Amino acid sequence: MAVLLVLVLANVAARYLFRTGFLGQEELAIWLHLALIALAMPLAYRGPLSMRFDVLRRWLPASFATTFDIAADAVSVTAAFGLFNGALSSISAIGGVSPTLGLPEWIRFAFFVTGGLLLLVMLCCDRVLTGQIRGLFVSLVIAGLLYGSSKIATIDSDWPPSLFMALIAGFGLLVSAPLAHAFLAAACFAPFFGGALPEPALVSSAINGMSRFLLLSIPFFLLAGALLTVSGTAERLVTFAASLVGHRKGGLAQTVLLTSVIFSGASGSSVANAAFGASTFQPQLVRNGYPPAQAGAIIAASSVLDNVIPPSIAFLLLAAATNLSVGSLLTGGFFAGGLMALCLAIAISLSVKAGPSMQKASSRQRWSAARSAIPAFGLGIIVVAGIRFGIVTPTEAAALAAGLTLLLSFAARAEGSSIWSCFRQSALEAGAIGLLIGSAAPFAFLLAVDGVAASLTEIVHSFGSSPVLVLLMANLVLLVAGLVLDIGAAILLLGPILVPAAAAAGLDPIHFGVILVVNLMIHGLTPPLGMLIYVVSGVTSVPASQLFRAVLPYLAALFVSLFLLCLGTLIF
Amino acid sequence: APFLARSAAAKTTTITVASLLGEDKPETKIWRFIAQQVETKLPGRFRFNIVPNGALGGEKEVAEASRLGSVQASLSTVSALSGWVPELQILDLPFLFKDPAHLRRVVTGATGSELQAKLAKQNFIASAFIDYGARHLLTKEPITSPDALRGKRIRVIQSPLHTKLWSAYGASPIGIPITETYNALSTGVADAMDLTKSAYAGFKLYEVVPYLTETAHIRASGVVYFAASFWGGLSSEEQVVLTKAAQDGAEYFNRLIVEDEARSMEQAAAKGGKVIQPENLDAWRNGARSVWNEFSAIVGGMQKIEAIASA
Ligand code: NA
Ligand code: NA
Repeated sequence: MAVLLVLVLANVAARYLFRTGFLGQEELAIWLHLALIALAMPLAYRGPLSMRFDVLRRWLPASFATTFDIAADAVSVTAAFGLFNGALSSISAIGGVSPTLGLPEWIRFAFFVTGGLLLLVMLCCDRVLTGQIRGLFVSLVIAGLLYGSSKIATIDSDWPPSLFMALIAGFGLLVSAPLAHAFLAAACFAPFFGGALPEPALVSSAINGMSRFLLLSIPFFLLAGALLTVSGTAERLVTFAASLVGHRKGGLAQTVLLTSVIFSGASGSSVANAAFGASTFQPQLVRNGYPPAQAGAIIAASSVLDNVIPPSIAFLLLAAATNLSVGSLLTGGFFAGGLMALCLAIAISLSVKAGPSMQKASSRQRWSAARSAIPAFGLGIIVVAGIRFGIVTPTEAAALAAGLTLLLSFAARAEGSSIWSCFRQSALEAGAIGLLIGSAAPFAFLLAVDGVAASLTEIVHSFGSSPVLVLLMANLVLLVAGLVLDIGAAILLLGPILVPAAAAAGLDPIHFGVILVVNLMIHGLTPPLGMLIYVVSGVTSVPASQLFRAVLPYLAALFVSLFLLCLGTLIF
Repeated sequence: APFLARSAAAKTTTITVASLLGEDKPETKIWRFIAQQVETKLPGRFRFNIVPNGALGGEKEVAEASRLGSVQASLSTVSALSGWVPELQILDLPFLFKDPAHLRRVVTGATGSELQAKLAKQNFIASAFIDYGARHLLTKEPITSPDALRGKRIRVIQSPLHTKLWSAYGASPIGIPITETYNALSTGVADAMDLTKSAYAGFKLYEVVPYLTETAHIRASGVVYFAASFWGGLSSEEQVVLTKAAQDGAEYFNRLIVEDEARSMEQAAAKGGKVIQPENLDAWRNGARSVWNEFSAIVGGMQKIEAIASA
């Protein structure tokens, strides 16, 4: 993690001081990020970072718990087998040398051979130490038998293999296996059901899913968030916010929303924003009387704005996959983002019970709070201005923010041990998030191969071709897809199909593109695959099931804004 | 014919084909064309499952997937395969080819066969070479001679060859993924870039870099390839049919690209894009010579480069 930070910062310095860049810096950073994800895997499978969907397990009588745990472990063991085995066979099959690094490509796979093996070892050690030896034995046998038999036989069926994958992943989810493990284990069985994804290709697909350059900003925003708290800067920022609106009902939550809007103008990744908000603001909100789940829900809902208000990874993906103008899409994003923020602000003022956290501050108190919050503003300005005026890329801006907060922590004489634990914790969080993104990639691959997206065009036109009906059907398709698909994959899969379908029905393609992104982004908050909820849950230790419930009012507000957007495009 | 009798009995084999772009683009149309050709000669033998829009990943990811067994065929630029066959970079050397016909002569001649053999050793059965068109310089301000590039920040793909070329002109190369490029150019992270005409219009880059200098410095070459693991399981008749279809497909692709370029430039011109001609051609070529020198050891020696230049 520290090496990664130094690398990216050194590259910014090199570009501006010596007008040069290190060739291969980007790729090296991606490789380090991969190593971080692989090594975090054995540590992040337990605790809140594992992103377990534990609703059913909590709801059923306690006697079922052991059975659930054994099944969940069997899923994890299968995922570990698959990763280990697939990565190991890839090492010999992949060949090639990275042109920019001059290093053999198999090194990336070696990380995951190690990761898979360590996950298995760690799980066994944990169960042995807690005396669950019999349970461990049963999980190993079940996983071994199922996994082994899937290698020798295949089933012929007329159903698309991705349907079986969805069922297996769904089973893993219900028995509260870690979400990423459920996806990986399901993908391991793809060849068994005739899916065209041999294990080495599965691992390669997952690794490539984790290797997107923009994902590199996630660890840095996590680190910046953690260090903000250690350095006391976050506290000062919130003190200032409280001095402005703290005397109002739900004023602090409104400030969180406003901060999120400001940050949306700097980053294009909702996941990064959710992680940042969760580590920075959630403890403050809780300290000011908000129930932990509600605090997390407000942060998760606000972070949706990040991919709607420009810059936005989502719009860039959509523009790349279709023939829409990036410029027009981003302008549309400003309007949509503003509308969504407004709806969220109303929902917050209606739903928040936390009363005023303080009396109305005097203007003198406000000034002094503002002065002490200057370093925190400086951070926001560096990130916003850095990207807006084109001085740095989002990843570099995130790294600069992390570097600055590190300096602030030193200045505040934070203990070395607490700074170290910030690095450790944010590395683990980044690893868990990266693994989840990667594990969704093989799944998206199988859906694409099965041509699931293509058959959706028919569905969209199934009830007629008037704009209202097509818009309604397209939103329903997006609603269903958004439940189970990664946002990026959904845009790449559905954008090129739905945008022409909408245009053919007489809808403005740009408006529709904005609606498509807004609709899919909202699904970061819906079960079972609500990425933003899992990120907030991972950082704050609040169970995902509680967050899914607490986010309902804000989800409703966002759906209202989606409805207004649809109405707008039909009328204008 | 004997193979017709067998093909009726044989099971249909699915070929998963990854295409980077949409149905209306040459990158996907070539596969519809190949599939149709193969279907006429071997009815019912193969089903081409063409997955468009880059849904199966970028070029390098797809190349990896073909080696690992999840994709059976695709197109690729030669630069994306140079991690496996570094010698391919000879086709990417700047100011080496005079025109499309020159490149065509080289890839259908001895150099082409040599590269195909090297690719086959790396499990890529490259049935034919394709021409994506030339890369041109794209800038915010009009630039006709290399001196004007000094100190400018230019977006490059992550490749030593491209980086060295622009460094030779005194520009600062920055690696930015293509999806981030529009944003980087509009905010000023980069002042310039280079791309083919089709992609220039496809990404609507004329909105941020309205000047296209027709340098044609690099001809972007590519291959139509099949995965060796899939190829090895075919009969020789099937291999012959697929090879012929791929070669015809490549010619069809090259024609489509030329048409697409003309259309793209009309679109760019309508939106304010301007085409300008490079001046001081010797200075442009001198910068390129330094790249030739640096890469001569990798691609097989200066003699070979000179021989291709005068082919
Ligand atoms: Na944003
Ligand atoms: Na969801």
